[in-house]
Amino acid sequence: MNYNLNKPSDKQEQKVSTFALMRKLLGLIGEERRNLILALGAILVNATLSLLGTYLVGHTIDTYIQTKQYHGVLVFAGILLTLYIVAFFVNFIQMRLMGGVGQRMLFSLRNALFNKLQELPVDFFNQNKVGDLISRINNDTDKVNQFFSQSLMQFLGSIFTMLGAGIFLLSINFQLGLAALSPALIVYVFTKIVSPWVKHRNAASLKSTGYLSAEIQESLANFKVIIAFDRRDYFRKRFEAANKQNYTKSVQAGIANNIFMPVYTLAANIGQLIVLSLGIYLILQGNFTLGLLISFIAYVSNFYNPLRQLAALWANFQVAMAGWDRISQILSLETNLHVVESTKTITSTSFLSFQNVTFKYPNGKEVLHKVSFDLERGKTYAFVGPTGGGKTTTASLIARLYDTTKGTILIDGNDIRSYTPEERSRIIGFILQEPFLFSGTVRENILYGNPEYYKLNNEQLTEEIKNAGLESLLEHFAQGLDTKIQTTGDGISLGQKQLIAFMRAVLRKPELLILDEATANIDTMTEQLLDEILKKLPESTTLVIIAHRLNTIENADDIFFVNTGKVIHAGSLSDAVNMLLHEKNES
Amino acid sequence: MYFAKVLSDVMQRSKTKPTTTGPKKANVFRMLKPYGGMVAFLVVMALLGNGINLLIPKIIGRAIDAFSAGHFIMKVVLLEFFIAAVAIFIITYFQNIIQTYASERVAKNLRSQVSAKISRQSYTYILRSNPSKLLTNLTSDIDSVKMFVAQAFVILISSVFVILGTCTLLILINWKLALAVISIVPIIGSTFFLIFRKLRVLFRRGREIIDSLNKVINESIMGSALIRVLNSQQPESMKFMETNTRSRDNGLAILRLFATLIPIIMFVSNLAVVTILALGGHYVVAGTMSLGDFAAFNSYLMMLIFPILMIGFMSNIIAQASASYQRISDVLEAPETSETGTIITQIKGDILLKNVSLLYDDKPILKDISFSIKAGSRTAIIGPTAAGKSQLLYLLTKLISPNSGSIEFDGINIAEYTNELFHSQIGFVFQDSVIFNMSLRENIAFNDKVTNESLEKAIATAELTDFIESLPDKLDTIVSERGTSLSGGQKQRIMLARALAINPKILLLDDFTSRVDQKTESKILCNLDKNYPDLTLLSVTQKIAPIRHFEQIILLMEGEVIATGTHKELKESSPEYAQIYNSQRSTHYYEL
Repeated sequence: MNYNLNKPSDKQEQKVSTFALMRKLLGLIGEERRNLILALGAILVNATLSLLGTYLVGHTIDTYIQTKQYHGVLVFAGILLTLYIVAFFVNFIQMRLMGGVGQRMLFSLRNALFNKLQELPVDFFNQNKVGDLISRINNDTDKVNQFFSQSLMQFLGSIFTMLGAGIFLLSINFQLGLAALSPALIVYVFTKIVSPWVKHRNAASLKSTGYLSAEIQESLANFKVIIAFDRRDYFRKRFEAANKQNYTKSVQAGIANNIFMPVYTLAANIGQLIVLSLGIYLILQGNFTLGLLISFIAYVSNFYNPLRQLAALWANFQVAMAGWDRISQILSLETNLHVVESTKTITSTSFLSFQNVTFKYPNGKEVLHKVSFDLERGKTYAFVGPTGGGKTTTASLIARLYDTTKGTILIDGNDIRSYTPEERSRIIGFILQEPFLFSGTVRENILYGNPEYYKLNNEQLTEEIKNAGLESLLEHFAQGLDTKIQTTGDGISLGQKQLIAFMRAVLRKPELLILDEATANIDTMTEQLLDEILKKLPESTTLVIIAHRLNTIENADDIFFVNTGKVIHAGSLSDAVNMLLHEKNES
Repeated sequence: MYFAKVLSDVMQRSKTKPTTTGPKKANVFRMLKPYGGMVAFLVVMALLGNGINLLIPKIIGRAIDAFSAGHFIMKVVLLEFFIAAVAIFIITYFQNIIQTYASERVAKNLRSQVSAKISRQSYTYILRSNPSKLLTNLTSDIDSVKMFVAQAFVILISSVFVILGTCTLLILINWKLALAVISIVPIIGSTFFLIFRKLRVLFRRGREIIDSLNKVINESIMGSALIRVLNSQQPESMKFMETNTRSRDNGLAILRLFATLIPIIMFVSNLAVVTILALGGHYVVAGTMSLGDFAAFNSYLMMLIFPILMIGFMSNIIAQASASYQRISDVLEAPETSETGTIITQIKGDILLKNVSLLYDDKPILKDISFSIKAGSRTAIIGPTAAGKSQLLYLLTKLISPNSGSIEFDGINIAEYTNELFHSQIGFVFQDSVIFNMSLRENIAFNDKVTNESLEKAIATAELTDFIESLPDKLDTIVSERGTSLSGGQKQRIMLARALAINPKILLLDDFTSRVDQKTESKILCNLDKNYPDLTLLSVTQKIAPIRHFEQIILLMEGEVIATGTHKELKESSPEYAQIYNSQRSTHYYEL
């Protein structure tokens, strides 16, 4: 599956109709249907009350003020007041309901997006930029929300009023009514033609916003290099380029969005003009009266005023649809790592078995070619080889961060793909080459992904840590378990991060533990300590150690040499060393 | 006039008063000052558009009058009407276009200002102020301000004009009734003011929640591999949902206020209608007011209510923009680390540290460090994890500054060198890999003064030639931080090439060889000797074997220098060093 959101394959780019998009969107807010209907009801009541109010004022003037009956004036003022009090509450309810729908929709939309991100494999994150994804989750959802919470009801209200006014016009005088409405037809055709272009421009604008966000995010995350290489201008330059592009695209989108209003207004004016001239013509023909013409002109504005409102709303709608496109692009992605039925076609007695595994990264070259090897329970294996040889890839396949291109991986004789993620992660522990810490405390990071220990207090946890022989590692942190970790662990050293990753993995007691250069930045004294800890793991624990330092692998039961797409079994440590020294470096 | 007063207050305050205590209150109106001409033009256009709009009914009215009077000339009416309609079309279109340009330009310039400001800041500032927040500042916050310019500002100003005009008309017709009606304005004004104050706080909180949302998303993406290895997608979703819930609740709180504000404004406006009906009706009945005046009063009231409502609706945007603008100006007004250095002499490479101490959150990281390094020599720093080795290198790169003590290169405090000169002579290979999403060439020749020749030399020294040759696009291959295309060792060698490409006088290696295999490592060290003979090398490392023949080895433990000397000397004099050395001896045979 192609996971690059900014370079969609042709299939993914296929046009989806606005209507289908809307339906999908409405599906997301299914449980809000009741609130929507209520809000709609409130809007209708509100509109009626407001019309009624205007009518009552006119009636009072006509019947009481003109005839100087002050008592009647007071009575109707009282009625009007009551009416407005009711309107106050209806108004309040309407806003609360509609705004609530909008907020909750934004909430579910963001959750849906984030959960989708969690479903997607590592591959997806390799192909998309953080800043762009953030922009989609925050900015694009907000655009959709703005339309829904602020414009949708107005939108529907305007359409209702227009329909009502239109029918009214036609019923008074069909001929004149038809003439009065004819510019609306032009507006309709115009909107139909122009909308895709407007949406397209908005899509480009949102895309450039995503790009800008990605640019900022990358620069901020790598700020130390920017300073150390005195490239503050680099940040500015890259940013200015993105900023300028964003400006151009936004202006283009803004101009497109603003095309509706003047055209709609022009149509409204032309409508009035048509009514005026045709009306006068009809009067001259003797088919119409001046009084009727005057009121007809007033009704025409009842039709065209909401139409003008629609102009602004329609532009919002196009923005929202463009945002929704970008969101649904993510929502339509599926993971390529499905759990499959276990098919016992190949039998294997070993704990872990690679059978003719070939792997290549998307658009990359082949990293592993027809690799086969077996690992037994309780043994320690070392994977050595030059950089770029495929060690990390092999480990990633064991942890099923990717699926093989060809061939199978078996755990206990079952296809690795037949294990659920829960089962797999319980069996396999993987200390990644690049340790990652979440902002919070050392405690939270050690317990990350280990809910069993969440409820333990610090003393109990320290006890567990002691049992695992890890307590001396905590000494490397000034405030022990409560040492604060800043965003992405800036401020603590790589060695410390590796210690946390180590503790995290060991406490989970996996059956197979992979250490991918997991101790590369830890001093040799502490490293000896880690070796001791690993030795104390249960007998049945299988260890896979990827390292350059030979001391870390000299205790291995078996050594594999990984290079140029092959995984070769090395007979002895000196064999491995020979290979390391004499094999040609592929990279 | 309440709104006019608010407005003038606002403009006034922006000119004169820097508020007494606390952070300076930023005013979103002040920001518009440089765009005065454009803004004035916009307001004129808006008023003109509205004015001509009022002409249309007039033309129709006159036409009907003329028709009933019998001297109706179709041509004239058509012409008048046509001109008015086209004028409206042109004016609204231009107004919209200018509004778009104005708002986008404000946004663009603000972004430039903020990014320029950030680019002048120190590394510590970026860490402290949290990159997630700066991202919100540059995106969502500026968007809110943009929205204010694009939608709220012109409506606000023209509404105030219309309100003022209508009030004057009302007073001219009947001042007693006018006063009764105008009394709604301060009521609405104070409601608006009260709610606006609360709204501002909530909007600010809303932005802070967006910051945390950004952080959760950011971490879930950066840590995506770990999350999948540990199968902790569920807790991540919970974490996100928690923050998202706060966001929703805050949104609902804003909504509650807003849903109170608008109905109140509407209700109070409607009260004015009732007042006119009852009081005006009384005047008409009593004969102190003509029916015509009464009718006029009624229609003007509608003209008064509409802009008040508009201001109400715009309050959302205004409150949001002012909260956002406050956050933006906090960034813009943060004190800068100004460039103090003036010295531009080339650095030879003599390094001297005198009593350098460094605190981090009040806990000592480095304690009273002193040592010297001769130009052209090779020095290694070894020591346990968390001894403060990386921080020491950060100090030498001016990324952070010491709390006390001095660092001198060639006898001159490093603060006195200009940044440009300083950084162009110091090559720093970070412990963790930082790869930008661009071509390999741009990644390595990161400093734009790098010549092709020094680029080639750096690539050869870092043993990257074969790797680059194997790529389809060679040096123009686009790489990325989280891309799968690079192994750990390759990334580390790219970092080395990046540092070497600037032809540094001093090279700082932070645990460089940790991910590079033995064979490549020894080749690289050999290349360094050959290609950069005058280089002063300072290498933080774990392995003693490759650095045994270095001129100086510094043993750093818990932020203190424990011992300094050559390998031979330390082996004899320092028990700690001997212990580390022995811990590596068992595998000594295999180290080459």
